[in-house]
Amino acid sequence: MKLLKDFSNIFRRYDLALEKTGEAREISKDPILQKIAKYVVDGDDENIIPAIKEALKTKTPLEIINDALIAGMNEVSRLWDEGVYFLPQVILSSDAMNAGIAECEKAMGKSMERKAKVVTHTAEGDIHDIGQVIVNALLNANGFEVINLGADVPVEKVVAACKEHKPVMVTGTALMTTTMTAFPKIAHMLKQAGLEIPFVCGGGAVSEEFVTSYELGIWGKEASQAPGMAEDALAGESWQSMRAKWNG
Amino acid sequence: MTPKERIMAVLNHQKPDHMPCFGANSTVTYDQMEKMQAFWPDGHEKGEVMAKQALAAYTVLGFDAVRVPFCQTFEAEALGCKIKSGKEKGIPGIDHPPPYKLDDTPEFPKDFLSRGRIPELLKAVKILKKELGDEVPVVAGIIGSFTIAGALLETTTLLRATFKKPEKMRPFLEVAEKAGSELAKALIDAGADIISCEDMTASPDLIAPSTYRDYEMEYQTRQFEKISVPKILHICGNVDPIVEYMGKTGAEILSLEPKASAKLAREKCGPDVILMGGVDTATTLFMKDEDTVKKACEEQIAQGIQILAPGCAVAPGTPLGNLLAMVEVAKRH
Repeated sequence: MKLLKDFSNIFRRYDLALEKTGEAREISKDPILQKIAKYVVDGDDENIIPAIKEALKTKTPLEIINDALIAGMNEVSRLWDEGVYFLPQVILSSDAMNAGIAECEKAMGKSMERKAKVVTHTAEGDIHDIGQVIVNALLNANGFEVINLGADVPVEKVVAACKEHKPVMVTGTALMTTTMTAFPKIAHMLKQAGLEIPFVCGGGAVSEEFVTSYELGIWGKEASQAPGMAEDALAGESWQSMRAKWNG
Repeated sequence: MTPKERIMAVLNHQKPDHMPCFGANSTVTYDQMEKMQAFWPDGHEKGEVMAKQALAAYTVLGFDAVRVPFCQTFEAEALGCKIKSGKEKGIPGIDHPPPYKLDDTPEFPKDFLSRGRIPELLKAVKILKKELGDEVPVVAGIIGSFTIAGALLETTTLLRATFKKPEKMRPFLEVAEKAGSELAKALIDAGADIISCEDMTASPDLIAPSTYRDYEMEYQTRQFEKISVPKILHICGNVDPIVEYMGKTGAEILSLEPKASAKLAREKCGPDVILMGGVDTATTLFMKDEDTVKKACEEQIAQGIQILAPGCAVAPGTPLGNLLAMVEVAKRH
């Protein structure tokens, strides 16, 4: 039987340590852009729309997207990395950013130009698309076009999407050990189809050892690595050099 | 000591002959299915097959308790969620679309206990009780309110609500708590000795610790007050930020993954709570060899674990030897 030996923490106010406190930094010196960025940080997808409509009188849609919406989401990413923000806040901020981008695209009369496509999915049998939600939000915030296949995606569908969209990178998320076995199958089929696309895999049950055991695989430790990895893939780095850089 | 006496000793803060070892979550693997000649999907759907598979925890692995069911969908199905079969290799999951929207008022069906596969689950517990008598405890699983609410609304909808409209979660948490509590009572009537409550969605990996403290904790506590047998509370992931609150829910046993600190749990929850856990089911139990498993078990025991267990649900492809290695370690303590 193990009993409490150390009483030193008994009288500490634990509730003070419950959540880290951290303030969102100022994102833009421009008060109009700062207001919009703040709505992204606060995850307010309602008030952000009138604020953007107002801003469009003096700013270009691209300015608003880059210097307020995406800049705001990057700040959210920082707060998440530091453990200040939790998943629900990231989802809400991503909603607000996407609502804002849609409003700006309406004003432009076309979709904003994206750097490149990334196909994202959660493994077949896995209904926990939680990690993927963050990956999507961060890739989106960094100017990539996310081809979001959602959760519980069959192997063949991932390969078909890669053939169709020719992404610079493909990602797979799995929370369960029963479902991550789909990843080597996908890697094998991509390889057979002549598509040497870096395949970043991560999520609850997925370990570095597992992912680096098959070709194309690069282990994604944190969702926040996704934009950096996509930039590397966009710059033309091979899966081998990306694995060497991000893993091991 | 019989396995039951061993576990009772730990619960009563007495010294067992050696440390007990069993799962708070599913411990079924393909190897065990082969040995028992009982397979999925029947093991999720038919009482007799479910009982046969669960029995393997005692007869094949030598664990100190058996555990049903092997998935997390019984309450959700009975409350109206669509279920997707895991077929031969996987576990059933919740399918889209969810039955409710956040503005809806969820209903608790009067015939809840006779819906979906619940009658089969109860049948499995009765069979196990008959087979194992008073020697080996039957652990029966229920699902935490927050996780059931996530199934009723779709998890991302619930996660949004935690910050935007938290009060709207309450009717769903009410119904979910009732579902788990009613199921627990029926399981106890059928012969369950211990109730294990899995609450995956309440993990700080998914919700803010303050949401657990301000909402889920209340429903968990209310539920545990209604359950007369010992209770295990299992929340996945690193629960360090909420473990103090988990300790206040009335659960006699907390089941921890190695990602969480058993030492911290002891500091924050005091001497009364029993800590259960041990090996990471993915990176160690599923992927590594027996020696690594043994080492991981020893580390967790040194951290204060009192009941050795897989940290979470065992991956069905886990090698048999790795599970047997756990029992070997438990017998040394």
